[in-house]
Amino acid sequence: MIQKKICLLGAFSVGKTSLIKRYVDSIFEEKYLTTVGVKIDKKLVEIERQKVMMMIWDLAGEDDFCKLQVSYLRGASGYILVGDPTRPHTLDRLFCLHKKAQKNIGNIPAIIALNKHDLCNQWSLSFAHREELEELQQPILNTSAKTGDQVQSLFIDLATQMLSN
Amino acid sequence: MTLLARTFQGFNQWVLREVSEQCFEPITPRPQALSPLFKLDDEFLHIGEQWPFLLHFLYDAKAHWIEQHAQPLISGIWLEDCQGKEIALEASALYVDGESLLIVHEIERKYGETAYRLQSSRDHLLVEEELEREVARRTRQIIAREEQISLCLLAAAGCRDEETGAHIRRIGLYSAVMAEALGWGIDQVDHIRMAAPMHDIGKIGIPDYILQKPGALENDERSLMETHAAIGASMLSDTGIEMMDMARDIAQCHHERWDGSGYPKGLRGEEIPIAARITAIVDIYDALVHKRVYKPAYSEEKTYDIMSSMSGSHLDPRLFELFQQNLAQIQAIRQQVQD
Ligand SMILES: Nc1nc2c(ncn2[C@@H]2O[C@H](COP(=O)(O)OP(=O)(O)OP(=O)(O)O)[C@@H](O)[C@H]2O)c(=O)[nH]1
Ligand SMILES: [Mg+2]
Repeated sequence: MIQKKICLLGAFSVGKTSLIKRYVDSIFEEKYLTTVGVKIDKKLVEIERQKVMMMIWDLAGEDDFCKLQVSYLRGASGYILVGDPTRPHTLDRLFCLHKKAQKNIGNIPAIIALNKHDLCNQWSLSFAHREELEELQQPILNTSAKTGDQVQSLFIDLATQMLSN
Repeated sequence: MTLLARTFQGFNQWVLREVSEQCFEPITPRPQALSPLFKLDDEFLHIGEQWPFLLHFLYDAKAHWIEQHAQPLISGIWLEDCQGKEIALEASALYVDGESLLIVHEIERKYGETAYRLQSSRDHLLVEEELEREVARRTRQIIAREEQISLCLLAAAGCRDEETGAHIRRIGLYSAVMAEALGWGIDQVDHIRMAAPMHDIGKIGIPDYILQKPGALENDERSLMETHAAIGASMLSDTGIEMMDMARDIAQCHHERWDGSGYPKGLRGEEIPIAARITAIVDIYDALVHKRVYKPAYSEEKTYDIMSSMSGSHLDPRLFELFQQNLAQIQAIRQQVQD
């Protein structure tokens, strides 16, 4: 069986852990418990008749004082960049992390999750943010860990990209 | 059990030595806190795929051992799921007395303290962010309210001639499109959207018989009419408000021409404030495409031809080019904002 490592990157409290919990355990917690250190979850998926064990690395979110430890990215076959458009500055963090990841592990498959889509009436993405998102030329999904919207697709699309890479 | 071993166990640390690739032999007894992670009869620690984090750490640890560093290399915190509970762990690698040592620590207390600190600081940051968003929301509300009041007053002031509420509003919106296209900051865009509609406020001081005269104005009537620029500017002066300073410049200079043939001062080129040059373009456009007492509404084509012939003489040619590039947005506003 193939094993693939993927990492979730993003600012703090954008919903990285929640997306994983929704995908792996089908649950959602309203209460915010920040992730300390690294938590690895596993999920077996079948893509184009191939069984793939996804090793999903949930990494502590970034803030100005707490930065991503880039060595954790080693060996990753893909990564998910998570932003929370109800807090538009998390997009700036997303762009930085994308650059950091590219610099450290090169061009591997990536996918962008604009999370908390259930709150899309509170999203406030500037024109500049939308343009910058487009310039990344990566697939973008509007996800909600709360409702489960697009969460399956997020992981499956990334895995599919990884297998065809 | 040696004293040393007991000490390690007391700190919930398990010390192991590397015996072969990915296989480690305990030097100290396994602390109780780690037991749930192992089967009872596990003697050695085999770091295989069931330990993905440790496996990842081994890569760095190996390099550390090869270089025979005695000071520990620390893995950072990770969590292992165990019977519905999470166990917080940390590993260190060090090289002592010719042996490659691996220490696995159960760090419940350290984890608890770190988590508590991080959680409080992040909860705090989230509250701050929320407050900032609330302030921004209220500020936008206040700006919108100011704008509404200002537009109502302007419509009232303009009701003696054909300056309808919609015309006034359109001038602001067109100007904002131009300002955005020029890459102005959001504050400046807000300013011109509110300031441009005030360009003709000085007409409040012009008598009806001139303002509403259908035919051409006599010379003395024209001179009087032209005073609306100065009247407007003096009405808008000395407020100490940045947006109003822009409004003053626009009122003062929106009849100046690029080639210096305009009034009141005959300024030329970039001597004319850019906000006034923008307003001049969009004001002429709106007047041409709508009906006035002295003319019918012209088509977009005819308007475009007339304005093209004014570019470089009456109008700033570079701004006129920008205006053309953004004509689709301007036309959309024209369609949307009607009386
Ligand atoms: N409404 C809504 N809330 C969400 C969604 N996803 C996450 N949340 C909430 O957002 C908060 C943060 O979620 P987490 O999953 O802990 O975020 P994180 O990115 O893992 O945060 P760190 O571990 O601190 O980096 C929690 O209160 C979640 O309940 C979503 O899709 N919709
Ligand atoms: Mg988390």
